[in-house]
Amino acid sequence: MPIISPEFINYIPYILEGALWTFSLTFGGLGLGFLIGVPIAIGQVYGGRIIKTLLDIYVWFFRGVPLIVQLFLFYWGVFPLVFGVKLSALLTSIIVLGLRSGAYQSQIFRGAIESIEEGQMLAARAIGMTKAQAIIHIILPQALRIAIPGWSNEYAILLKDSAICFILGVLETLNRTRYVVIATGEALIPYIFAGVMFIIYTYGGTKLFNIIYEKVQIPGLIKSGGM
Amino acid sequence: MGRDVVLRVEDLHKSYGKLKVLKGVSFEVRRGETKVIAGPSGVGKSTLLRCINLLTKPDKGRIWLEDVEITRPGVNINKIRQRIGFVFQEFNLFHHLKVIDNVMIGLTKVKKLPKEEAFRRAKEALLAVHITEDLWYKYPAQLSGGQKQRVAIARALAMDPVIILYDEPTSALDPQLVGEVLQVMKELARKGVTSLVVTHEIGFALEVADELMFMYNGRIIERGPPKEVVFNPRHEVTKKFFEKVGRLYGERK
Repeated sequence: MPIISPEFINYIPYILEGALWTFSLTFGGLGLGFLIGVPIAIGQVYGGRIIKTLLDIYVWFFRGVPLIVQLFLFYWGVFPLVFGVKLSALLTSIIVLGLRSGAYQSQIFRGAIESIEEGQMLAARAIGMTKAQAIIHIILPQALRIAIPGWSNEYAILLKDSAICFILGVLETLNRTRYVVIATGEALIPYIFAGVMFIIYTYGGTKLFNIIYEKVQIPGLIKSGGM
Repeated sequence: MGRDVVLRVEDLHKSYGKLKVLKGVSFEVRRGETKVIAGPSGVGKSTLLRCINLLTKPDKGRIWLEDVEITRPGVNINKIRQRIGFVFQEFNLFHHLKVIDNVMIGLTKVKKLPKEEAFRRAKEALLAVHITEDLWYKYPAQLSGGQKQRVAIARALAMDPVIILYDEPTSALDPQLVGEVLQVMKELARKGVTSLVVTHEIGFALEVADELMFMYNGRIIERGPPKEVVFNPRHEVTKKFFEKVGRLYGERK
């Protein structure tokens, strides 16, 4: 038996096309998670008790419940039954990944915000900035820089979580590989191939974040891990 | 209140839990005056300054800035703070902004001045503290401590404040950098920039201060012309303090 059957080679482009879905899920989730995570972090650092408690519940739910349960819950439950809309598997997956990632990302940004020394806020208030202005113009630009390594890590996690979305039928990398396995009757090589693809996507993306991180460093400032 | 009194503090009290930090502080600063507050660590000097621009809320007592009572409920503190410059011991420059942007940001984002006008004012303020153009596009972390503190003074100055409060502005500096900062502060004082300075630098007080106030245990226990307070104090603690500080700082001018 040849190591790689000619039949499998024909299916490689089909699996590679899955990257489009894999990256839609990953970057969709990462982007939505950012939009959710930053305000949550701000609320958790600067908000009042009630706001903090509500945000804690949100974070606690999305971090505590398994992704696969959340996918089923939103796909079969929350969207059709509560909101009365039938969203596609892809859109549902992106939203769930985003809501979930937002909970995780909020903790990254919270750590970054809390690592900014108090003097920055004091100096901003001392020239007459409102708290909101100080957060937007002084705190966030510094905190977001610090958060990039954590964010890069979140990218790697989301990338791998995106594979779980096969369960709703999204045609991402893993799902396509499964179909190839069924079509060719060969399991080992396709799954190794899919695994290698995930490693490459992870490595490539993390590398990209590293480059961005270096690019946006503040000249002369000693790099603090931030967290 | 006299027209040229720009800051008036009346019977200020502040406690942190059981610890009484300020126990009734009163004084006035007139336009163009420089007043120095000295005293041992932990007697409430920094708290006093922070109460004046309301970074800390006083428990009791009243503060007027020009003819506005700023401790009155409902006062827009952000508006008030725009008119009070504050220079921190630790500089607190905005790390992510270039020197010029550190000075401009208050003008553009708080005072909402157009960019060109803000740039012109920032330039003026930076030149007043002898920060030359080659430094304007550097980041704070690329500057020496003395340069950082002068930029911080420029940031306060550019807002065109009624008064500048200095909170131990030279205490975080290496000894060889203290002089350039004091020099700038003296020049500003002589130009008539109203200042209230918490410092241990007796030389500065002797040279430019109109009044020296000695704080101890939450109160101003002695005040007067700097020479008198330093060389002819009435209280034993004052005498001990200035003897000690004099030994540490020498006759540095």
